[in-house]
Amino acid sequence: MSRGVWIALGATAGIGGALLFSRSASAASPAAPAAGAAQQTPPTIDLAPLPRAADVSGDLARNWGETPVDLRPLFMLMEETSRIVGAARVFAVIAYRESRFITTAQNGNAAGEQDERDSSRAAFANSKGRNPPLRYGELAAEFGSGGLFGLLAPYFLWTGVPEVGDKAPLLRAPPSLVFQPRAAAFGAAVYMQRLLKQYRVDDVPDIKAGWANPGLLGKGRGGETYQSVRNRFLEDAKTVGIDLADVDTIPAKLDASAWPGVPNVFAGLVGALPKELV
Amino acid sequence: MTTDLRCYGDDIQQLAELVPDFELRSPMDVESWYTREWQAIADTNGFAQQFAAVPRAVPTTTDRVTAMTLAGLTAFEHSLRAGRPGVPESQARVQSAVIQAMTGTGLERGELWRVTADPTTLATGACYADGGRPLRAFYPDTAPGYFGDGWSGPPPRAESACGWQTPLVLHLGTFPWVYSSRLGDVGPGARWASSASQPALEGLHVVASLLEPATNLRQDARQVAAIYRHFAKHTAPLVAALPSFQPGRAEAGRLYRRGRFLLAHQGSLHVAALDGPRGRLAASAYNYILRRFASFFAVRRATLRALTTLPAEVQRRAATSADPCLRQQVEGVARAS
Repeated sequence: MSRGVWIALGATAGIGGALLFSRSASAASPAAPAAGAAQQTPPTIDLAPLPRAADVSGDLARNWGETPVDLRPLFMLMEETSRIVGAARVFAVIAYRESRFITTAQNGNAAGEQDERDSSRAAFANSKGRNPPLRYGELAAEFGSGGLFGLLAPYFLWTGVPEVGDKAPLLRAPPSLVFQPRAAAFGAAVYMQRLLKQYRVDDVPDIKAGWANPGLLGKGRGGETYQSVRNRFLEDAKTVGIDLADVDTIPAKLDASAWPGVPNVFAGLVGALPKELV
Repeated sequence: MTTDLRCYGDDIQQLAELVPDFELRSPMDVESWYTREWQAIADTNGFAQQFAAVPRAVPTTTDRVTAMTLAGLTAFEHSLRAGRPGVPESQARVQSAVIQAMTGTGLERGELWRVTADPTTLATGACYADGGRPLRAFYPDTAPGYFGDGWSGPPPRAESACGWQTPLVLHLGTFPWVYSSRLGDVGPGARWASSASQPALEGLHVVASLLEPATNLRQDARQVAAIYRHFAKHTAPLVAALPSFQPGRAEAGRLYRRGRFLLAHQGSLHVAALDGPRGRLAASAYNYILRRFASFFAVRRATLRALTTLPAEVQRRAATSADPCLRQQVEGVARAS
């Protein structure tokens, strides 16, 4: 299964200059309690349930392939909230690779996933000095990556820092929040927006290359890894049954120029967090 | 009068109670009950948006049940047209012809829920040509599964051009999950559509017609009860092993039982599944199938209660049914009226 990676947005991403180095997304293992880090026990959080068909206006029948019917409204809500036309089905292909559509997929909880834990530890260690503190930083460091989109825990919790600084909404949340599909969707939407706005993204498969490692959209462009990530994305789309060439549902290039801002996207996807996390 | 279904067994009475009861003579009851049922069908099969968009009132009928059926089928047709063809045109055409033939016979026999036929007696032998090669238009579903213990005979009377060696069996009452196995997150019948033919629409039409009072009464409920019992026997241990859902204490991504139904908390019911000796059963399929059984008996109960208001022909058919329970219930209605 795949390795999705979040590397680095560094200074551009405003996350303390560190690279969001995700390498993972082998997500097929269901969640287990995160090891390590003697920190206070995180509260149980239950966000709003998955959105339903009535919550979105975009089409949920055409060009979705085998995307689970009850997850399509979430992907469409991501598109509609972020105002990135065509993003819904791209998120579906990414989620297939990163989690096989399992909302609680986690990379880092199995014996063979040490590298994923190493990544999240490194992410936390390298970036904590340049970012607002995380209430559950140590837990995040030990967490690895997870959720529908295979997000590395520390970077997931710092989502929005480049845009709104210490008003970023997840700073006081535990890493297990990534298992809540609406929260994972927020992290993924923000990340896609950054890729589209801050990097050269020539076509849809380039988004996945940047998802794996933004460096692939710069110096790594055209290289072996760049090509293999793109090819794998194209294969995933085929497997899921989403036609990336269907321009009625997926424009040839996605555009984040209508992005409404992190607070609005958070409000649209997540709503409000429990008061103890605010 | 009190209409109960205990003639079929106490379990059937309880099954009907999984969905709300309703009065067929109450337009408001009918409207809300059928809207809810169609909403559930549409949610599971991915045409909720289309269902929300179609008009409920049909100019050509004042019958609310018929109007809801037309609305539901129209919505499903729109979603099929929006999707990609799932089978070649040649297969879809054969499937349509076969389903039409089998449902005609099934209705006459009172066995529409599960239709069976010797494939060699059907149009084209239930075969279609793919590149000149004859292939079976349906899966030969005779191995033990969730709807039955398997059934291999009688063998076709004639030699099959595409290799049929067993009867053709389709569980149309639970369409699109039409086979005793292959109960994944997408029912096999949902793929029965080409660019020009939509046998899937005919499949869902059977589901809809079993919710209509007249057709519901023509179905031998004993067949439905027997298939339900088999399904319940093989799923009950799997469901019992799941934790019970408690609001506020549920874990994200975990599969729970809530009453008799399943709930994937903060996850996809289409991804979650039960795994048992009879194979994998998607949680969405489980809920849908259980609901189909429950709705059938809920409609049966409501129909019996309103029997005297139904056309004389429908009453006559019920009174002469091969199903002794139904005959007994009709006599009870006659005595009470």
